Amino acid sequence: MDALSRIKQLGMPRRNDELWTFFPVAKVLAPEFPDACACEEDFSKENDFAALLPIACNARTLERTIADNESEMALLKCNNDFGRTVLNIGKNAKASFEILDNKVLHSVSAERFDIHVGEGADVEIFFANPANDLPLQFRHFTIEQAAGSSVRFSSIERGNGISRVSLDCHLRGAGAHFEIRTLNILAGTSESHHRLHIYHDSPETTSVQFSRNLLDGNSRASYDGSVVVGDGCTKANSSQLVNTILLSEDSAVSVKPVLKIYHDDVECTHGNTVGELDAEQMFYLVSRGIPPEKAKMMLISSFARELFYPLPDSPAKKRLLQVLE
Amino acid sequence: MLSIKNLKASIEDGTQILKGINLEVKPGEVHAIMGPNGSGKSTLSKVIMGHPAYKVDEGSVELDGKNLLEMEISERANSGLFISTQYPTEIPGVNNVEFLKMALNSKRAYLGLPEIGDEEFKKLIDEKMELLEMDERYRDRGVNEGYSGGEKKRNEILQMAILDPKVSFLDETDSGLDIDALRIVANGINHIMAPEKAVILVTHYQRLLDYIKPTYVHVLRHGKIILSGGPELALKLEEQGYDWIEEK
Repeated sequence: MDALSRIKQLGMPRRNDELWTFFPVAKVLAPEFPDACACEEDFSKENDFAALLPIACNARTLERTIADNESEMALLKCNNDFGRTVLNIGKNAKASFEILDNKVLHSVSAERFDIHVGEGADVEIFFANPANDLPLQFRHFTIEQAAGSSVRFSSIERGNGISRVSLDCHLRGAGAHFEIRTLNILAGTSESHHRLHIYHDSPETTSVQFSRNLLDGNSRASYDGSVVVGDGCTKANSSQLVNTILLSEDSAVSVKPVLKIYHDDVECTHGNTVGELDAEQMFYLVSRGIPPEKAKMMLISSFARELFYPLPDSPAKKRLLQVLE
Repeated sequence: MLSIKNLKASIEDGTQILKGINLEVKPGEVHAIMGPNGSGKSTLSKVIMGHPAYKVDEGSVELDGKNLLEMEISERANSGLFISTQYPTEIPGVNNVEFLKMALNSKRAYLGLPEIGDEEFKKLIDEKMELLEMDERYRDRGVNEGYSGGEKKRNEILQMAILDPKVSFLDETDSGLDIDALRIVANGINHIMAPEKAVILVTHYQRLLDYIKPTYVHVLRHGKIILSGGPELALKLEEQGYDWIEEK
């Protein structure tokens, strides 16, 4: 079944669809679909509207292959409402991809990234979008990882519109590691939603999910992260942590951790904290003469920057910390 | 210099902790405040700095004739008041040196001075870290992040040395320090102390006062200073505890 047929079969996102629980689905208007789908791939098992949308709308595909043992740094930019990027990363290759902002002027943008990571490869994918006025932005990632590979996904979102990142990661080979660090700095009526499925399909696979939110005004953030550990996937290790600081009375966050574990010898944790700026830390800073507004900014900045400190020295770390200066 | 008159303060539920503190601190003086646990010693330092958990019910606190109680917290600090709390707060992610520079420049801005240059600041911090025999790793870490109790106290005195306050209120600075660290920190305080400055030390033990000679020793109990004397009072308290004071 092609993407267009599948999207028509699924219909528009609904609130009672588990993939869209926290998203303001009424804001998603049906785009003008083409008469026929140019892509012949089978999408009969894809359930996420946002993953199908660019393909159903015949998005141009950019395909990039990095050969075994090669290293590459690249910027990825989609210059249309809809885009698809396919990345094939060879064995033991090392790659760093920064996704640039898609500054289209229409009501919705949807991008899809299919990333195939070979054995032992080391990949980082990151974006630090500047504030933009895109009303509705979808980014979907499908990541397939072979044994011993490592993928680090990091992002900063601080747009004015509504964004949704959906991600399905399959850790198919032993020792594969996936790590995601997302930071939302939101104000006004902006919203940022994350929906993740991480599948531990092999033994000794590891995943880390770490999300932080700084929410002001009437902004909204949600994190819907599920981890599935398959039968026989011994020594799988997964952690999920979401920290939120609410800077206003009217901001809100929703967090839904889901763990489906089909094997005994695994370690899976999840945690969620919601609070305000630490009053004792504020007192400490101002008691040293630092004006309250500056002290507040120091605490906000430290909360944000701390998320990315554990990253290895790399273009991603440099760029993300630079954005937060 | 620092004049505290009939200071009464309570916590949110209305419980009064300070019940009429009177204390006059003049330039060049070192005041030691001793007293049993829960008598209000730590509260006193936080109240005069303006901690939001406390409400001043009555009284006045003046520094060089200016009413501290009418000032913002940062203004109190920039006017020359420094407090070191018993358990210094950890602030992960805020670099210790950047924090110190920000604090110093805030004070300089308040005093109408230009920001300190990088070279001058480096020289200043190098000098003070050497005085306190501090490890280089203090530079790169977050404020008090992962420090031991003793390291935190030493970092507090580093801040005091950089900010050069008129009056320093040091709450149990000796707790958590080993014998060598106590000597180093006490020497640091003595070095920073000057005829135009004053120090108030809260302590439970004579050992700190062996290094920093107090001008006056006060006993704080049930939110009031119930006895004041010279350095000999601390020795007597060390020997006999506090019960005899009530007997008196």
